Amino acid sequence: MAEELKIGVVSCSGEDCLGGTISRLATRKMLDEVRPDKTVTICLPLFLAGGQEERMFAKTFPTIAVDGCNKACAKRATEKYSGKVNGTILVSDIIGDTVSESAALSTRDVTAEHQTMVDKVAAEITKQFDAILNANSKNQAGSTATSCGCSCSGGCG
Amino acid sequence: MSINEKVKVIPCSGMGKVFGLMAREAALRTVGQLCPDKAETMCLAYVVTGDAEAEAGIDGKPCITIDGCPKMCSAKSVAIIGGDIKEEFKVLDIMKEHKGAQPGTATELTTDGWTIVDKIAATLHERVQQIHGEGR
Ligand code: SF4
Repeated sequence: MAEELKIGVVSCSGEDCLGGTISRLATRKMLDEVRPDKTVTICLPLFLAGGQEERMFAKTFPTIAVDGCNKACAKRATEKYSGKVNGTILVSDIIGDTVSESAALSTRDVTAEHQTMVDKVAAEITKQFDAILNANSKNQAGSTATSCGCSCSGGCG
Repeated sequence: MSINEKVKVIPCSGMGKVFGLMAREAALRTVGQLCPDKAETMCLAYVVTGDAEAEAGIDGKPCITIDGCPKMCSAKSVAIIGGDIKEEFKVLDIMKEHKGAQPGTATELTTDGWTIVDKIAATLHERVQQIHGEGR
């Protein structure tokens, strides 16, 4: 039986602005609530501070980078040290540049308004997440079909 | 360091562990509330990209790192980019003084967790004041 696919969601660290905080919280929401059995993550700085095992992350798992602002640190650092990402989310595109650039937030001070932002970002991550899962299961089906030796792309049998 | 230079307080990103979240919360409290005139933070993920601008912000600058786990991502990354690390804090070590405390999860802290965070932030604050004093 094929191993169950897990997808990596890697958030920027985002200490400097609200967009970064939202990025982290949305990533945590994927891990805790939305797709807890299928989501994996890694602390982004481990790509640099860790070893070969950590650098295999984006090669082992299809990975979505979630970034608080357009410096896109999660995407750039992942691609520099680990491997190409399969999806990208820019929080500032979803909640707006001005809001995103406001001060970083303590989880002590999260309001209902912030929670709405987190939910919106998590919804976008979920869209990309499910698209990657679907594409992957089609690929798996496709490769099974190919083994039948015809050109049906999995439609026969 | 110049009198006006702020000390960089840089937590690990700690996405997966409660101690990482504690590192971040302590840093945010220090630079946002306790001594915003003497300390600031920088996104560790930005440091990790190795951008020239990130390097310029860290290289030779007084830094305090605060790490959640023994992998020491913040201390290692800041050192690689040339930060002048004045102190490396480890939440794991601090937790040894709080045996039995239940700080919460990587998503949310408990009352225990916040109490320890506030203690760590007070220590960070004190160290920032000292480093600033040394620079005069
Ligand atoms: S993408 Fe922006 S918010 Fe996130 S770590 Fe980089 S600079 Fe900070």
